[in-house]
Amino acid sequence: MTKFDNPFAPRFTRLKSKSLEIKGWVREVMGLAEDTPITVAELACRDEGCPDIETVIGVLEPEKPIVTIRVHATMTEITKADVAEAANVGSQQNTT
Amino acid sequence: MSALDKKTPVTVLTGYLGAGKTTLLNRLLSENHGRRYAVIVNEFGDIGIDNDLVIDADEEIFEMNNGCICCTVRGDLIRIIEGLMKRRNHFDAILIETTGLADPAPVAQTFFIDEDVQSKTKLDAIIAVVDAKHLLGEIDKAHEAQEQLAFADTVLLNKVDLVSEQDLATVENRIRRINPTATILRSERCQVALDAILGRNAFDLDRILEIEPEFLKHFHNHDHDDHVTSFSLLSDTPLNPQKFFQWIQSISQDFGPNMLRMKGIIAFEGDDDRFVMQGVHMLLEGNHQRPWNSDEQRTTRLVFIGRDLPRERFEDGFRNCIVQEQVAAG
Repeated sequence: MTKFDNPFAPRFTRLKSKSLEIKGWVREVMGLAEDTPITVAELACRDEGCPDIETVIGVLEPEKPIVTIRVHATMTEITKADVAEAANVGSQQNTT
Repeated sequence: MSALDKKTPVTVLTGYLGAGKTTLLNRLLSENHGRRYAVIVNEFGDIGIDNDLVIDADEEIFEMNNGCICCTVRGDLIRIIEGLMKRRNHFDAILIETTGLADPAPVAQTFFIDEDVQSKTKLDAIIAVVDAKHLLGEIDKAHEAQEQLAFADTVLLNKVDLVSEQDLATVENRIRRINPTATILRSERCQVALDAILGRNAFDLDRILEIEPEFLKHFHNHDHDDHVTSFSLLSDTPLNPQKFFQWIQSISQDFGPNMLRMKGIIAFEGDDDRFVMQGVHMLLEGNHQRPWNSDEQRTTRLVFIGRDLPRERFEDGFRNCIVQEQVAAG
């Protein structure tokens, strides 16, 4: 009998639909082709100055450098507005 | 389940320069075994076969955290796999050949970090091909060689015909010191049964013990000077799940960059199921596996493989998770 929450349950089963939703928002707000590879990951980091948990989005357009978008929230908390705001910052940082 | 719903298995070939990786790869591509492979390689020229599913990789590193090496993936693999998946009815599995100096961690983490990649592919196993004659000379000079062994699920000990039985035992012992959970297979010119290296499901939590039957049997005492070392933590007394989860998360945060791989079977207080875990750096996953058998000793065992891990600190933290204080380290 299980009497505890499992924080290590395979992530795929928990976050797949949200991951797809976030990727859809990224494609929409950045005007990307439907087949542009995008990776979404929720990461914990204890480096000084880093938030405890952030969602890191990588946009891997063909023949272009990877654009990194960071949202200081868990994947489940992220909204389309968060993605739009962070994508603007991420695009600017990656082009400078 | 349709063919497109099935996850495509991915096998990663690592190995130091000249160990025989390309020989194995060419064997896999040329033998009549009924499987079709897409192959991701670093050097086209080494592959002695014409195959339109051979794709060149450029080791594009994507650091997802600011400078945090434990959150590094391979951007080129994400791009390539995305493209390959549009042709997934053309092949049955994917082989990735890394360079002799490649760090296996970003390759492995690519298959853990992204839900989309996870939904389409599954990391089947990491195979390290090593040269039985030259390994001992290389391993002290090259940290890459030790780390490739540390990450391996299967070590293909190649060129055994060039080494005496006594020297082979020494080499195997050295490999075991670095990685006590890997399966070691001996071969000449990579002649090994392909079933022994393909379709291993080494990262499937349900299979951890099927692959490593010796996992629970042996103690390993590793007081030596290797860059990469391993140790086990054992308890025959159940662990408190809340304390354990808090501790292992803390450990992965503090030592993730140096914690190359971990595997474990855990007996929790008040839980009749075996709980199994595995991790690559700070990416950990775990789940209930099956009920403990009535005649089975409920022993918790965690194996850590890493760079300069402070064993005593791990032991102290582990001891605090045990319901009645009792710990043995191997």
